Amino acid sequence: MTSPIAPRRAAAKAAARRGTLSGWVFVIPALIAYGTFVIYPLVLGIQYSFYKWNGVGPSEFVGLKNYIRVFTDPTLLASIGNAFVLIAFFTLIPVSAGLVLATLIRSMKPGPFSSLSQTILFLPQIIPLAAAGIAWSWMYAQTGAINQVLNAVGLGALARPWLGDFQTALPAVGLIGSWVLTGLCTVLFLTGIGKIDQSLYEAVRLDGASWWREFITITIPGLRQEIAVLVTITIIAALSSFDIIYTTTLGGPGRATLVPGISIYRIGFTQSNVGLASAFGIVLMILVLACVLPIQRLARASSK
Amino acid sequence: MIVNKTEAILGRVILIVVLIATVIPLVNMLSAALQPADTNPTGLTFTTDPQWINFVTAFEKGNVWRLMGSSLFIVVFVVPISLICATLAGYALGNLRIRGSRFLFIFFILGLTIPFEALIIPLYYEVQGMGILNTQWAVIFPLIGLYMPFSVIWMRAHFVGVPQELSEAARVDGASRWQEFRSIQLPLARPALSALAILLFLWTWNQFLLPVVLISDPLNRTVAGALTFFQGQYSSSIPLLNAGALIIIVPTILVFVIFQRQFIQALLQGAVKG
Amino acid sequence: MAISRTRARLARGPVALTAIAATALLALTACAPGGNAPVANDVEVSTELTTDDVVLTIADETGFPLTDELAAEFTKQYPNVTFNVTRDTFQNLTAAAPKLLASDTPPDLIRLPTIGDTVQDGLIANLDPWAEAYGWDKWSEAQLAPLRVNEDGVRGSGSLYQLGLGYSITGIYMNKTLAAQLGIDEVPTTIAELEDDLAAAKAAGILPIMAGDLDGVVNFVVQAAMNQYNDPNEMMDWILNVPGATYDTPGNVKGADLVRSWADKGYFPSDINAIDYASFVSRFQAGEGLFTFNGNWAAADTQAKMGDNVDFFLVPTAEEGGKHVAMGAANSFSVAAGSKHLNEIVYFLNWIHTDPTARQIVTDVTGAAPGGDPAQEQPTVEAGSLIEKALEMSAVIGAENGQVDFMANATAGIYAGSIIPESQLLVTGQITGQEFVTRVQDFYAQELAG
Repeated sequence: MTSPIAPRRAAAKAAARRGTLSGWVFVIPALIAYGTFVIYPLVLGIQYSFYKWNGVGPSEFVGLKNYIRVFTDPTLLASIGNAFVLIAFFTLIPVSAGLVLATLIRSMKPGPFSSLSQTILFLPQIIPLAAAGIAWSWMYAQTGAINQVLNAVGLGALARPWLGDFQTALPAVGLIGSWVLTGLCTVLFLTGIGKIDQSLYEAVRLDGASWWREFITITIPGLRQEIAVLVTITIIAALSSFDIIYTTTLGGPGRATLVPGISIYRIGFTQSNVGLASAFGIVLMILVLACVLPIQRLARASSK
Repeated sequence: MIVNKTEAILGRVILIVVLIATVIPLVNMLSAALQPADTNPTGLTFTTDPQWINFVTAFEKGNVWRLMGSSLFIVVFVVPISLICATLAGYALGNLRIRGSRFLFIFFILGLTIPFEALIIPLYYEVQGMGILNTQWAVIFPLIGLYMPFSVIWMRAHFVGVPQELSEAARVDGASRWQEFRSIQLPLARPALSALAILLFLWTWNQFLLPVVLISDPLNRTVAGALTFFQGQYSSSIPLLNAGALIIIVPTILVFVIFQRQFIQALLQGAVKG
Repeated sequence: MAISRTRARLARGPVALTAIAATALLALTACAPGGNAPVANDVEVSTELTTDDVVLTIADETGFPLTDELAAEFTKQYPNVTFNVTRDTFQNLTAAAPKLLASDTPPDLIRLPTIGDTVQDGLIANLDPWAEAYGWDKWSEAQLAPLRVNEDGVRGSGSLYQLGLGYSITGIYMNKTLAAQLGIDEVPTTIAELEDDLAAAKAAGILPIMAGDLDGVVNFVVQAAMNQYNDPNEMMDWILNVPGATYDTPGNVKGADLVRSWADKGYFPSDINAIDYASFVSRFQAGEGLFTFNGNWAAADTQAKMGDNVDFFLVPTAEEGGKHVAMGAANSFSVAAGSKHLNEIVYFLNWIHTDPTARQIVTDVTGAAPGGDPAQEQPTVEAGSLIEKALEMSAVIGAENGQVDFMANATAGIYAGSIIPESQLLVTGQITGQEFVTRVQDFYAQELAG
């Protein structure tokens, strides 16, 4: 014998199902765009990665050969190594600098100076990365501003073509990334600091703690979510960098600044080896996931 | 935050140093752009005879007007369509809490981690198959798709913050889902929408990889995508190259400066949720 | 009970999804992509130019305005034909060429430095029918040979797939003012003399060789050195992908070692890897560097900037009176197989090689030999000019049969993928000549195999 609640529950469920259906209609446009131009190419890319194909003629199934090549070819491995080095410049420097700068700006009275600072710091984010490449190529040139300053302060011996020197090319390119990303971190941290309970700071100050102690025990923990988001964004930027290197060094000198993005472009288009390029692209994506998922997990765990 | 005098001064000094370091590359570009076009400038110099004519030369020789038109064409389609799709989806995921919304959410998040390089090669062949290769549509459609993960998550974050009682109140008054969306939710979403619009405009205007690969004629790309073309044409004239690059940067700076209040506002509203 | 049923339904969801995804993936990997090359247009060969209005598209690289001038002159003579010339950087263009040719609207004419797979994929037009109709057998076969590809995909013989808008020659430019300062009043004729001059310059604080390698152009120097010690025929076989040819020859190693020794002695600019083509040319023209290795295409501009203070000569030989060898190639262009205006564009190509005004433009703008029928009158050049020198050098190389293609053109990817990075290491003293040669050969073998 069914209970009297059952018919009402059934009706509610039916209404919910109808509601869900109309709700799904809202999602369909986004899903179509996403599915057609992100998921479908991704699947196509996986397909290509198992073949040897030059993009026009017939293709040949080669199984895992392309993937094996990705993990054994020294050039490709070197490019992955370079991408990881870039993480130091794209992530460590901007996030740390952002934390410090945000704290500094916060500590000032809000006014024209602080909002001007935010605007200026954010400028590198809004110009095309390719333009940043051109601007910095010029700064780093043998006859550029950096050498000019070094000469002026008597350190002329250090002057060199920063982007053409095997030792300094990768850090030089990395610093361009630091320049571009620091502003983003600063502004995002600023909004985050605003949400931290001010009374926490007062309590710590009353105990006579220094600026440093306050920074470590309150600011950083309070910004955990923002740190996680920014670390994720910047790591993705480092691993998938393309624009900056393409307009400055093209992967040189030698292979000092070769990154996976440039490698994929070159292998896929200049060398017409679509299969290998696709495999490398998929490996890059897996690398990104491998770096990003643990961070997300850490962030979620700590916020509980 | 209470700070003592020395910390305050030290802080200011550090800040000013960083601000100068941030601005120098751009100022450097300006100083180079103002040198006579056929010289090889050395470092940061302030000429007494600024060659503003370089900008005119770069503008004409670089076909900048046509480039801007092309970029504008792309932006005019990408930004509104992306906003519409993302807002609808964000509403569904954040407010309606439809069945499977958690799965869809994760589905979109994964899209955030896919680097463009992993997709660019299959995208090329897909776009070729659709017959739109080498036209602006080759960049417009994929960009809309590529922006969906971030945009949907951004709008969802906003809608999640809107209390459910608002929708329920409207529903009790007899409004349909669509009416409620139009008259109540959309106005509320305006700050998040305008911030997203600005972001999408910037990203589209500055888009580089997709136009370079998918559009063969540099004059039909975005302004940023044509920068390598500039490098090829003006590689022998640093002043002209810098002038051209500056012309390209100016619209983005203008847009940002004009709209920065909305932008920072939206960020402050805590659109950055985990 | 309801709860367990719901839980079962929920569990089924992701499982079903994974199953579907797996099957789809399996199905996709089972079907191969590609295999749909465009079908070449079948058109009747005609040597008459149409009177209809036609727009011809040309895809060319930045920085070489020759096609603009030729197009303008052609339109002047034949107003019903207009041109749309698009330009992109050399690296973008080489990366995009196969894709452009395979699209539905390929450019009629495209600058194509390396043939790569375009012939076997059916992307570029076989020009043999027109060669017969126009009578190109009267043209210099030595110039046309590298533009041919046979059935096995080996260059050097077979059907004609490219033509050159000018045929270049490379050599050394010398700054006569700086030379006079060093007491050098003649161009060196042997490598030994060249090395003496380099040492003298270095001792006097003058930069011996202005070169750059940001984009690989120092390879003019590297190959020039190799050319004097190797067998040019072996080098050509390697460039043309003849099976069994190798880059790893004693001559090449010796040449690379010579360049390495020059790097160690400080004969190159210290920032060589940051200097690109345009920079090294403009710096030489501004007076920096006693010598620079470049080609005839820079002659007109260099003469304009340096007047009479510059000389142009063939790279000296290893021994006194030895055979001259120089890099030279057609400024090669190909016609797209899918072009809708095959007759018109080939008419244009023939016109470039035969019309006196066109030939004069080619020589004036690029300093290159115009090709075509050697019996036809050569364009007029100013006496004593660099361009006159360039044409003379072409003639010498032609007579001594010392023409060699650029090693960068050996395969589609070898320049960007191997020669440029390895040369950057070579000219900064980080690898030996043997290492350079071995690595380039390894890349070559791998690219041809797979």
